[in-house]
Formats: sequence, C-alpha cells, structure tokens
Amino acid sequence: MNTLSDINFALRTLIKNPKFTALTVFVMTTGLTLCIYMFSFIHGSLVAPLPFEKGDRIRAVDTIKSGMEYQGASVRVHDFEYLKERVQSYEVFSAYTVNTVNISTSDRALKFRGHYVQESFFEISDAKPLLGRLITNDDGLSGAEPVTVISHTIWQNMFAGDKNVLGKKLRINTEPTTIVGVMPDSYQFPSAGRIWLPYTTTAKGIARKNGRSVAVYGVLKPGISDEQANIELRGLMAELEETYPKLNSNTSAHAWTFQAAAMGSGTQIVILAMELSVGFILLLACINVGNLLFSRAIEKGKETAIRTALGAPRAKLVMQMMWESTLICIISGVLAVLFAGLWLELTNKGLLSSFPFEPPFWWHVQITQTSIIAAIVITLVTAFITGILPALKATSGDFNATLRDGTRGAQSKSSGRLSKGIVIAEVVLSCALLLLSTGMVYSVNQQNNIDYGTSVENIFTARVGLPEAEYKSDEKRLQYYQNLKATLISEPEISAVSFTQGLPGNDVPYRTISLEGVDYGSKPQYPSSSYVGVANNYFSVMAMNLREGRTFDSRDKIDSPLTAVVTDNFVNKFFKDGVALGKRFKFSDSDNAWYTVIGVVNDVIYGQPIPLNIEKPTAFLSLQQAPTRFVAVVIKTTANDAQDVTGLPEMVANITQKIERDAPAYDVKTLRSSIMARNAGMNFISELFIVFAAASMVLAFSGIYGVMSNTIIQKTQEIGIKRALGADNSDIYKHFIKQGLKQLVIGLCIGVPIGIMLVTMLEKASLAQGSLMIYVGVPAFISFVILLAVYYPVSRALKMEPCAALRHE
Amino acid sequence: MKTLIKLTNIKKVFSTDEVETHALSDINLEVKQGEYLSIAGPSGCGKSTLLSLLGLLDTSSSGSYTLDGHDVVDINAKQRAVIRNKEIGFIFQSFNLISELTVAENVALPLTYRKDLNKTERTDLVTAALEKVDMGHRTKHYPSQLSGGQQQRVAVARAIAGNPSIILADEPTGNLDSKNAELVMALLDKLHAEGATICMVTHDPRGAKRADRVIEIFDGRIVSDSPTSETYIEEAVA
Ligand SMILES: Nc1ncnc2c1ncn2[C@@H]1O[C@H](COP(=O)(O)OP(=O)(O)OP(=O)(O)O)[C@@H](O)[C@H]1O
Ligand SMILES: [Mg+2]
Repeated sequence: MNTLSDINFALRTLIKNPKFTALTVFVMTTGLTLCIYMFSFIHGSLVAPLPFEKGDRIRAVDTIKSGMEYQGASVRVHDFEYLKERVQSYEVFSAYTVNTVNISTSDRALKFRGHYVQESFFEISDAKPLLGRLITNDDGLSGAEPVTVISHTIWQNMFAGDKNVLGKKLRINTEPTTIVGVMPDSYQFPSAGRIWLPYTTTAKGIARKNGRSVAVYGVLKPGISDEQANIELRGLMAELEETYPKLNSNTSAHAWTFQAAAMGSGTQIVILAMELSVGFILLLACINVGNLLFSRAIEKGKETAIRTALGAPRAKLVMQMMWESTLICIISGVLAVLFAGLWLELTNKGLLSSFPFEPPFWWHVQITQTSIIAAIVITLVTAFITGILPALKATSGDFNATLRDGTRGAQSKSSGRLSKGIVIAEVVLSCALLLLSTGMVYSVNQQNNIDYGTSVENIFTARVGLPEAEYKSDEKRLQYYQNLKATLISEPEISAVSFTQGLPGNDVPYRTISLEGVDYGSKPQYPSSSYVGVANNYFSVMAMNLREGRTFDSRDKIDSPLTAVVTDNFVNKFFKDGVALGKRFKFSDSDNAWYTVIGVVNDVIYGQPIPLNIEKPTAFLSLQQAPTRFVAVVIKTTANDAQDVTGLPEMVANITQKIERDAPAYDVKTLRSSIMARNAGMNFISELFIVFAAASMVLAFSGIYGVMSNTIIQKTQEIGIKRALGADNSDIYKHFIKQGLKQLVIGLCIGVPIGIMLVTMLEKASLAQGSLMIYVGVPAFISFVILLAVYYPVSRALKMEPCAALRHE
Repeated sequence: MKTLIKLTNIKKVFSTDEVETHALSDINLEVKQGEYLSIAGPSGCGKSTLLSLLGLLDTSSSGSYTLDGHDVVDINAKQRAVIRNKEIGFIFQSFNLISELTVAENVALPLTYRKDLNKTERTDLVTAALEKVDMGHRTKHYPSQLSGGQQQRVAVARAIAGNPSIILADEPTGNLDSKNAELVMALLDKLHAEGATICMVTHDPRGAKRADRVIEIFDGRIVSDSPTSETYIEEAVA
C-alpha cells in the first residue's frame, strides 16, 4: 500500500513537471534506444548463434597465407584430405565446394551459388527436407545419377511450389539433374544456400598444384577449445609446409566460427567500438538524468530536511526519490524498445538489401526475447544508477544544517564539485565518441571518394559464366567474347566493351609468385600478388595510364609466350632497380610457366579501398592467352554517367541470353553501384557512428547546458553581489568562461587521448582514419559547444537587474 | 557642503503578473557629502528599493537622478558598473560574502574589476580596509569559518576598500546580535567621522539615532525628513 502511494506520488510529481519529465524521458530514451538497437543488431547478426544443436561447436577451417586470412573455399583439397586423416579435435571434419551454377528450365535460366556437399553437411545443420531426401555420400560417387536438393526459394520461383517437383529434371550447368529434395524456407546453410549438389572433389589422381580449393568445416569435440584445435591445425599445416615448401610456403590454417568467418576478423573490433560507443552514450544519458534528478532533489532539499526532522526514515525518502527515476526509465525503456524495433525494421529493409551478399540466414535483425530481456536489465540498472546516487546524496546531508543554513541558494561545496565532475565526464565521453565517429566517417568518406585507378562512372558491368561442357576449348570461349562484344557494341548507348576477371573495388585472387633470378632458399617465403585476366582493350576502355612498354595486343596469342602487364606497386615492390620490362615471374604454387612483363600501368584498387589493398601489387594477365569461362563484361556507355542509361540491364540480359542460352548475364549494374555495394557494410557502420556522434553531442550539450545553467542559477545571487560591487557583464562572462574552460581543458586532456587511442585501434582494422583536422577540429567544436552552453545561461542571468539577482532565492 | 545625491520625482513601479506595485512614488531627496542618512519605515514600504536605485542596482520608472553632479539615468550598463565600483560601497543585511573566496579575496573583489590598479596597490588597499575593521588577522579564512559579526565586518571592509564616495547599507545589523550590531555601528560611526557619506536602512532605533538625519518612508513616499535629534526627542516626548 505504501509502495503504491509512493508510486502514485512519484507519478504525480512527474505529471506536475511536464518539461522536466519530457527532458529526462527524451535523454533516457535516446540512450536506451541506441543501446537496445545496438544490442539487438549485434546479437541478431554479427554474433548470432548458429541455430543448430551443435551450433556452438561448428567451425570453419580456413587458410592463412602470408598473414592474410582467407575465407570460404580456401584449403587445397590435398591439404584438406591430409588434415582429415589426422585431426583429433573434431567429431566431424568435412568439406564442401562452392560454384556458380547456371540453372535452366525450358523457359528460364538463372544463376546461383551452388554448394557441393556431403552427408555430414546436412547432419551438423539439423537439416530436414520439406520434400524428398537429402544428399548422401553415395550421390557423390562417380557414375551416380546427378541429383540436387533445391531451396524453398527455387522451388517457389521456378516450380511455383509444385508438390510433384521430385524427380523432375533441372539443367544445371547444361547437365540434366534430378531433383531429389526441397529444403524448407528456413534452411539456407552455410550462409544463403539456394541449391545443393553432391560433393565430388578429390585429390586422387590430381597433381597437387592443380588441386581445387575446398571449404572446410568441422564440429569440435565437446570440451576442445579453439586454442587446442588451432594448435593442432598449425602443427599439421607446418608439416605440410615442410613437405611442400613451394606450394605451401607461408601457409597455415585456423579454425574460427562461421560468424567470424562471414564477417572477417575486423568484426570483433567493430563490435567493441559499437558497444563502447553506445555504452558511452548510455553513460552520458545516465549522468544527465542523474544530474537533473539530483538538482531537483537539491531544490527540494529543505523539504527533505523538514521531513527528516519530522522523523521520516531515510530509506523511505530514498525509495520515494527512486520511484521517480524508475518511472522515467521505465517509460523511456518502453519507448526505446518501440523506437529500436522500428529502426531495426528499417535496417532490415535498407541495409541488408544493400549488402553485396545475402545476409546469412541465421541473422535476425529484430527485437528478440533476448533483446527484451537485455532492455529490461539495462533499464533497471540505469534506473537504479540514476536514482540511487542523487537520492542518497540528497538525503545524506546534515538536515539540521540545511534548516539552519541562511545562505540562500549558495551552492554547497560538494555539489559544486559534483557538477564540475559531471561537466568533465561529459566532455571526456563526447570527445572520445566524436573523435571515434569522425575518424570512421572520415575514412569511409575517403574510401568512397578514392580513385580506383580506372574509369568508374561511365562503366556498366555484368558477369557471365559459360557452361563447362560446351566451352571446354579456349577457341570457343574467345569466340564467345568476340560475339558478345560485337553484339553489344552495335547498341547506340554502348561505346566500348571489354572483359576482365575482376572488377575494380571487387576482390580478386592473390597468389604467391616467384621472380626469375631470385633465390628463395630451401624454406621459401614467396611474395604475393593479385592477378587479373583482362582483354586486350581493357586498359584503354578503363582509361588506365600506360607508364612504359605496351599493353596486350594481337601478339599475345594462346600459343605465344605468356605476358603480363604489372602495376606501379608491383614494380616498386619486386623490381628494386625500377626496371620491369622484360623481367619474368611465375606463380609459385601451380604451373611452371613464366610470365614476361611487357608493360607497366597505374595501380588499380581491388577489394575495399583499405591500405592493405591500396598497396597490393597486381599483375594483369591476358585473357587472350587464358580465356576463362567466368568473366566480367565491362561496358562503357556513351553517357558520362552509366546510371543515366535506362534499360541497359534488360538489354544486356537479353543479348547474353540470345548468344548463349545457358549463360545469362548476372550482377548487371553500374561499376559505381558494385563498388558502393562492396562498401555497404562500412557505409552502414559509419552512418551508425554519425548517429552516435550526433546523439552524444546532443546529450553532452544538453547535459553541460543543464549543469551550467543550474550552476549559474544557483549563483544568481553571487552574480548580483559581484555586479553590485562593480563587475560589468564582461567580468561576469570572463569568470564563468574561465570556470568552464578549466573543466573543458581537463576533459579534453582525458578525452582526446582516449579518442585517439580508439581511432588508432580502428585504424589497424582499416575502419577509421585519424587526421590532424579531426584531432584539432573535434576539440575545437566541443569547446565551442561548451562555451555556448556557458554563454547562454550567463547571458540570461545578466538580463536581470542586479537587485533582482540579489533577491534571488 | 556639496550635494552628492539628488533625486527628483523618482517613481518605481514593479509589474508582475498583472499586479502593479508602486514601490516608490514622487521621491525627492538630496544627500550632501559627508551626511549620515538613516532610512526608516515599515516593512514593504520601499526602503530597499530606494537604496537599490541609489546604488544603481536598479533603474527607476521615471524621475531624475544626479550623482555628484552627473546624470546617471541615461547611462549604459558598463558606465553604471564603473560608478558602482568606484563611487558606491554596499553593505547587505545577509553579508553576501562569496563562500568560495577567502576574506582577502572577498575584499579585493571590487578592486579586481578596476583596470587602474596593479596588484600591490590592490593588496595595500585590502590590507588597509581589513585593518580598519579590525579583521587583519583573518585574511586567509573563508566566510564560513567566521562569526556573523566578523563576516559583516569583512563586508564593511569590502564596501570601503575602494574608497567610495557613498556607503549604502541595507539593515547591516539585521542578522547580528546586539553586541555585534554595536560593533558594526561603531564602525560606521568611525567611517562617518572620517568623512564618509552613508545611507543606511535600519529598523533599529538605536542604530538610527547615530545618523545625522532620518527619513521615514510610508507606502513608497517620504513622509518625514528631519535631523535625528528632533525625531527621537519627539518620540521620547510621545
Ligand atoms: N522585484 C520586485 N518585483 C515586484 N515587487 C517588488 C520587487 N521588489 C520589491 N517589490 C515590492 O516593492 C515593495 C517595496 O519593497 P522593498 O523591498 O523596497 O521593501 P522594504 O521597505 O525594504 O521592506 P523590508 O523592511 O521588509 O525589507 C514591496 O511591496 C515589494 O513587494
Ligand atoms: Mg528591505
């Protein structure tokens, strides 16, 4: 009953002070929304558990080559089979391969990433087919009937959910394949799986250097730690390196979770940065609300003192004050869950669809039970923190002194110290957060505006994959390129057409090379280079600069000696004397053919524009000499901006389909949008951090403003006295600005190093970039904001006549 | 003697929430240099308001005010601050020392707003003022470490440190016991004897008696203005 009346009392107090209530709820909602959003996002995506019985023990095993963490199909099948025979840490150790598959029915052709899997693949992922059966190991034996299991999506899209789909045939890469199973909508293992085929890759009868790469996964035995598993892997890989020094130079492997593998190893740091940021923001919110509650409690100090004098137990007074903060936090918590839910919804629509890859199926970016529980916990903790301290502080004073104290409104020493501490804390937090955010935004901005080394705006791109059976010979492939180019170029919107294996801004393979005449010793540490096959006219179509020598032309034929055009980075890294033309290199891990450098061109950035990729050497190889079945078509438009050309995707799709029914163009888009998609994750994160920065600035400003105007209101009388003694306005401003400056300087002295530390930490993961401009600009901006927060309340106090200020209670 | 203060037809109206308070009406007052004026009257009659106007802490609604021959109605805030600083010394009922500053710093405060004094000159003035009020031994103390009487003596020192031409005191003994009140009054006597012009609001007849001249305010108007001796003789007779 008593509690109820306490709640009632607190509620009435809140309703009676709508401004105060609105402000505190706003501040708290901001902090909680960001927190709940971030929590739900991180837990629904980046660290979401695999929804399988043994999900927490499933690991991907990937290659580390010269320090680079590879991901996906990264282990040579020979190495995999060697490991499989020996590993002890796993109860399941298996592999699958990934391949683009062209599927065609009588009227349509589509392109998917196909997963070639074994039985264990389905076992570990708790797979239960919706219709039919799963793929068994027998399906992979040579001579077995070609079969496939299709996803719910394909079943719906291509067969309109036909219940009699089992036994029907799909032309998969031109081979008629029988459908034996349909998976439920929820099943998309390993990430966004759409179609599954039997695993047939083997090391038997294949030369080691020609061995395919496979994606390796395992289930750790219970009780085996990642550390143990990795020690074992490293040991076995070292054995392989010992035995095959050429192929396996600098090659090791590690086991990591599918989640980490999906996002790369920078994820941990991003998560940390996000959590730190929302933590800071929530802290700011708590400080602000705590301070507002505290100054209210101080205002009511006399009332509290009278109550104490009348015998109210302290616990009761504390409880009463606590209810207020609890109500504020509960209201804010409910609002925050709503806002966070809406925001997550938007994220689902906006971000996840802009990603270049389909988000893993175990991502559920939404408010879940866990996030509700987290929200409740966070809310209660903040309610406690923001309530208990002010309440204890407000009731702890000598009530007798409060009653006797005639010095009206004079700020007590300890509450003065407290507000100074608050200002310093706000400066520290907002400064660190602002530095971090601007560092990230700056680097993303740099990445988005970087020069990729080729034309970008007027380029349209598409990919095609020729069916293996019909395009076995190089001549047929070259013929296809020729046809496609000729057809496309006859369109008026298209001014040039070329081909490449990899587009700027997109990832291309990276391999170890050995240079002619260099002795790498018995334990070779080969350097690596990116390599990209391109058509003869690629360099001119993409407006690249030829530094010296020549680019590919009709002299570089299938049967003539192999040639390469290398980039500036390549020359700087490998030819210390600066002479590149005529030098030879080969790929150390496979064939023995030498490539002769015939030209040098400017650098092109492949992958995300992070320092690592910007500094990578690249060798361009001639598609003419090694035509591949999978190739990207680059289409230069007559318009300056490829985006302005309408109907091009449909036209390209039609033309490609006409030329080769089984090779429809896919990923038809402007080069700019393919680059932007590549950066979508970073853009998203940087947008988040802009929100963080804005929120922290608003909170810090309102907090500091609140503290300052409180302090100044409490010092109104002092201002009156000083003016009576002859201080003019500038004297008063000077006094308070000097006071604010002290706290500002202390705050910046702590906040700037923390911020720089955070930026440096993210710099290592290429997620942020510091610059003098930021390190000077951010503190300057904060100083400006703080001065504003001081100036405004002082100027308000100065509007009063000094005698009114003197009378001020 | 030269006329220091001349108020003509001063009116002060406070307008708050639709209520208009005529705090002062038709005030005409002259104060000569070296005079010791006491202002009396019932609570709420406008004594403090009058003192605020005299001290340029507030502006009148109408009327004219010349201070030492200069019109001070139409001057800007900065000039008013300079006059408060140089010409006027305030003593308040509730001492109004600044709690974060030491005794010496409090006394030095008005001097720090002057641009024409260097540090040693300031220190000398502070020391002299504190000696005058017999508080020279407490310079490093904070106000909270002093008794009420001591605090008020420090406040007097602060008021006189810059050698102002007028001292304005609003019930300077109102918060003091009789012994301390006596001390502060004696101090004002001494200042007066040394030539200071003093305007003091007081309820205390014993204090008022020390002044040369008493004006009585009732409901915002001056209802009597007479030398001290006469006032108290009449009272004694009645
Ligand atoms: N800032 C103000 N706003 C509105 N009314 C005011 C203001 N200051 C003073 N008053 C009113 O003006 C009148 C005179 O006030 P003043 O403080 O001068 O009285 P006083 O004579 O000093 O009284 P006391 O002896 O109690 O100190 C009072 O009625 C008061 O309510
Ligand atoms: Mg008064």
